[in-house]
Amino acid sequence: MSTKMPVNLTINGETFNVEVEPRWLLSDVIRHQVGLIGTHVGCEQGVCGACTVLIDGKPERSCLIFAVQAQGHQITTVEGLTQNKPDLTPLQQAFQNHHALQCGYCTPGMLLTATALLETEPHPNEHRIREALSGNVCRCTGYQFIVDAILEVAGDSKEASR
Amino acid sequence: MKPATFEYRKATTVADVVQWLKDAPDGKVIAGGQSLVPLMNFRLARPSVLIDINGIRALHHVEYDGSTLDLGALIHHQEIADHPEIQKKFPVLTVAARHIGHWAIRNRGTLGGSLAHADPASEWPAAMVALQAEIDVQGSPGVHRVPASEFFLGYYTTVLEPDEMIVGARVPATGASRIGFAEVARRTGDFALAGAFVEDCLDGTGFVTWFGVSDKPQRIAVALPPARETSWREALEQLTLNDVAEDKIALAIEIAERALKHSALVGAAYFGAHAIRGRD
Amino acid sequence: MTEQAMRPQFMGARVKRVEDPRLLTGQARFLDDIDVPGMLEVAFVRSPYPAARIMGIDTKAAKAAPGVRAVIAFEDCPVVLWQKDAYEVGQPVLAHGEVRYVGEPVVAIVAENRYVAEDAAELVTVHYEPLEPVLDMYRSIAENPRRVHENASNVFFYKKYTTKGFDEAFPAAAHHLQETFRTTRQTAVTLEPRGTAAMPDPASGRMTVYASTQSPHRIRGDLAELLGWPENQIRVIVPEVGGGFGMKANTYPEDVVVVWAAHQLRKPVKWVSDRTESLLTDVHARDDIHEVEVAFEDDGRIIAIKDHLMADGGAYPAYPFSGAVGETSLASRVLPGPYQIPYIETEIHCTYSNKTPLGAYRGVWGPIASFVQEGIVDRVARAVGRDPAEVRRINMIRPDQFPFRNAAGMVYDPGSYGESMEEALGLIGYDTFRTRQTELRKEGIYRGIGISVFVEPTAMASSEAGSVGYESVFIRVEPTGKVTAAFGLGPTGQGHETTMAQLIADQVGVNVEDVVILHGDTDSAPFGGGTGGSRSGPIGGGAALVAGREMRQRLVKLAAHLLEAAEEDIELGNGQAWVAGVPDRAMTIQQLAEIAYTHVKRIPAGMPIGLELVARYQPERSVSFSNGTHVAEVDVDIRTGMVQVLNYVVVNDCGRLINPLIVEGQIYGGVAQGIGSAFLESLRYDEDGQLTTTSLMDYLLPEATDVPRMMTKHLVTPSAGEGGIKGMGEGSLIGAPAALVNAVSDALEPFGVMVNRLPVTAEDIRQWILA
Repeated sequence: MSTKMPVNLTINGETFNVEVEPRWLLSDVIRHQVGLIGTHVGCEQGVCGACTVLIDGKPERSCLIFAVQAQGHQITTVEGLTQNKPDLTPLQQAFQNHHALQCGYCTPGMLLTATALLETEPHPNEHRIREALSGNVCRCTGYQFIVDAILEVAGDSKEASR
Repeated sequence: MKPATFEYRKATTVADVVQWLKDAPDGKVIAGGQSLVPLMNFRLARPSVLIDINGIRALHHVEYDGSTLDLGALIHHQEIADHPEIQKKFPVLTVAARHIGHWAIRNRGTLGGSLAHADPASEWPAAMVALQAEIDVQGSPGVHRVPASEFFLGYYTTVLEPDEMIVGARVPATGASRIGFAEVARRTGDFALAGAFVEDCLDGTGFVTWFGVSDKPQRIAVALPPARETSWREALEQLTLNDVAEDKIALAIEIAERALKHSALVGAAYFGAHAIRGRD
Repeated sequence: MTEQAMRPQFMGARVKRVEDPRLLTGQARFLDDIDVPGMLEVAFVRSPYPAARIMGIDTKAAKAAPGVRAVIAFEDCPVVLWQKDAYEVGQPVLAHGEVRYVGEPVVAIVAENRYVAEDAAELVTVHYEPLEPVLDMYRSIAENPRRVHENASNVFFYKKYTTKGFDEAFPAAAHHLQETFRTTRQTAVTLEPRGTAAMPDPASGRMTVYASTQSPHRIRGDLAELLGWPENQIRVIVPEVGGGFGMKANTYPEDVVVVWAAHQLRKPVKWVSDRTESLLTDVHARDDIHEVEVAFEDDGRIIAIKDHLMADGGAYPAYPFSGAVGETSLASRVLPGPYQIPYIETEIHCTYSNKTPLGAYRGVWGPIASFVQEGIVDRVARAVGRDPAEVRRINMIRPDQFPFRNAAGMVYDPGSYGESMEEALGLIGYDTFRTRQTELRKEGIYRGIGISVFVEPTAMASSEAGSVGYESVFIRVEPTGKVTAAFGLGPTGQGHETTMAQLIADQVGVNVEDVVILHGDTDSAPFGGGTGGSRSGPIGGGAALVAGREMRQRLVKLAAHLLEAAEEDIELGNGQAWVAGVPDRAMTIQQLAEIAYTHVKRIPAGMPIGLELVARYQPERSVSFSNGTHVAEVDVDIRTGMVQVLNYVVVNDCGRLINPLIVEGQIYGGVAQGIGSAFLESLRYDEDGQLTTTSLMDYLLPEATDVPRMMTKHLVTPSAGEGGIKGMGEGSLIGAPAALVNAVSDALEPFGVMVNRLPVTAEDIRQWILA
């Protein structure tokens, strides 16, 4: 029953051939088999959003997907945002400028959700941002500086969006 | 919080699924898995075989022929929320879809999965009952249609046989009546404390379908005079309520009132967040 | 030289955090990211009963399961977490003969990975004989239905305090009221769960322990003591920590079991809590009852408060301190808050129960005491028919009264109590609020405003994290002129690598990016108390200032000698030392450092070789009080009971700021936690003693849509300590719940509602309206 299956995962444009048990969660495989530790696990209950990755460009919970299910899909993790360049992306830079992270545990999930939001909707207002982020829990920041960082990239000022 | 072992099978046809379910009665179909996988992580669900239906392309469709909206079981909540034709012809589905979970959940969770899970506090079972949809079910003898009103039996239970699966739902056009939606949840994305679809037939009568207040959604005919409290109370009496405390009854009534008010809105106002969540 | 120190370049600036790039790119290493070949993982078999005798444990099947390396019970690892000088009982790291709360670890499975460890855990059979659980505080005081520990009274802490003259003053007042305030169990819920990894170092024979903790040296000391090993045989490394909030200040049973297993198996072993385990077994907090009576005059002057404080400490005292004692004993001393209430009488009962041990959660006593204190003021205001702000003004400690000794004997250093309130009321537009409120009520909109003026004891001689009252810094100017400084702090997201670098850079005269801050490795960091109790800024920062200054003096001495100038004429800055007024007569700090390490003959007589030193700082005062005011504006939907927070203002005074950006981040985060505390978060036990909130679907954390945009203003009343710094990590969560629930009380004034519980739920509100 616990025999392993070969799976090809496409993560951040690279292909990884791994052997997994069917029951292994995508989050665990990304972290412990592929070694991309930027994807964090906060609850395995589908609630906290820390494990959010992009699957074919859309934010999804990697703790609620089995790795065997992810074959044939494009997975993006936080490590993929910078595309092997040393510089931070404008969104990451905005997070640093606005002090949008403290312990940093929720940050990868936040960045991926925000990246997807800005991709589908380049100029969201504060209300839309908060709604899109509502599935990503942050325990440290109270969200305000995260929202500010995303507003900056959205080319919007706090005042204009209120 | 790690699932027990299971055998994984990837289906490409519904016939495969039906056969595999027959072979393994404690097998389980996974669509989006947004309710199933948490249960598996808790080891509260431990299927021997997990049948992944995400590869069955035929279940991933939305079609509207002018009278019926045909939704494949694998349509994601977010796809319903974003679908322009649904927004035009079935705006209440758009609004309801936006209330399901969070974005990441809506991107993966499916209509069929939600209907099969039959959580009485979730939006889709109530939507299907309120809109008098039919659920397409496939088993060994083939596909049969079950009226949504007969599909849900109670908490997390449906008429689905162990070797059957949902392949889609067919929602008839709503005609002249207007349908509104309202829901109150503790936070964005949480299951409803109380929610309702209310259909106003514009002749002083209508229908209400609550969710989150009873064991299953039921469409109940109501008179809609200007003072409606008694109508709602009588309707609630027909349900097996989760909680008969007066504040819960009052909340259900309030939500029905808000859904009715929502039904009268048009255009952008109908889709505004305040239309549903806002105060009077 | 002093002139520059008075014009700091980095202290007070909104410096971006040096921690961020690694966290933003997914490169940071948290506990579960520690992975070495052959590492084993642990799963625990935990008690399903709140109280039961263990009649037998059968581990045969588990031991035989594939991938399992060890199955451990108390007999194998007989360690008890027992602070013997303070408590009559301790917690065995694995249950011994009896289980006393749901979730208590009973057996540990060590296996190839977590999946198979959990498989094997299911194969362990424990035979229990259930006992009647002790679940109610009042009954527990009366040893009813029984004792939690056969050989110890259920009341494990008792204290009574009365201000002299209380007995005469209390009855003499014109009016009296009483109220019972209740807080429900809550917990920190760090987004990164707890975890521990341990690996024997084959070269040295020592044990390396990776711990997700706030107090690296404390956990090293605890492990050494509990396992009977010399301290220098243990190296604790704290990786990136994903939040602590007091909850990671304890040493837990799992920590000991993991280290013991690594030692026995001579293998790397790791355990990371899952979310259900964390809700069951991370220390809980806030399980308190305050039975309060208040004596006051016609004008709202509060004369005396009588408070019977009770806290449910759970099944064992958390190690090494019980949160129940922390929550009550300090609350009893700071209950008068910023008000000059002359008399107080407090009586405290802390009791055992068959629930999870109570420990620390940000603010510890503070959110509870502020909720009670501000609830009292609002009740008095309503009773005498005066505006709540006015009643606060009447009672507020005036600036000329500092240092102020409160009725419980706590001495407050200067703060901006009244000023912070006036500023906050101005920012939210309080003077026009009542008119707006009246108009809105006519439309059926119930809007309320809540005021919370708080005091926050910081930099305490001892707190949950620091059993020591000082912090230490090892500082070194490297031969290249760059600066490295190591701290005994245990940051969990506060940004110490940035703030401590700011302080040191100013002193040493280098740029902030030239300073590297080390922490969390007991092999490199000097002994320190750790992070908690709002002590890292004032005490750790104070130590940074002292260390930086001592290094500066050394550099100045060296530069004066080499530049042939008087020491008082040497200036340092931008990586240079120069003679004041003669900028050409200069040397870089790199040149100085090179000489200090390599051309040592050029060092002046009497000066040590190299540029390294250790400095320690212990504030003279045993506590320094930050203060501030929170004002919340909310709408209460009386039909659904839902509360929407519309506006939120914080005026905060934590003395001199090291980095306003970081201070504001702390404030916003604390307010969000306050929204959770006030409206959402609740650990609930059913009547059988089962915790029913074991997932984040049941224990509700505030989401981005629950938190409003907040406004902050800083006031600065410096402390008497180093740098004028006061602590501020907890104040925002201390102030917020009171402001929020008082706003609900204010909104529902037409219904006669006064909130007396935390959290207040939509259901509570609906039921109050209907009643």
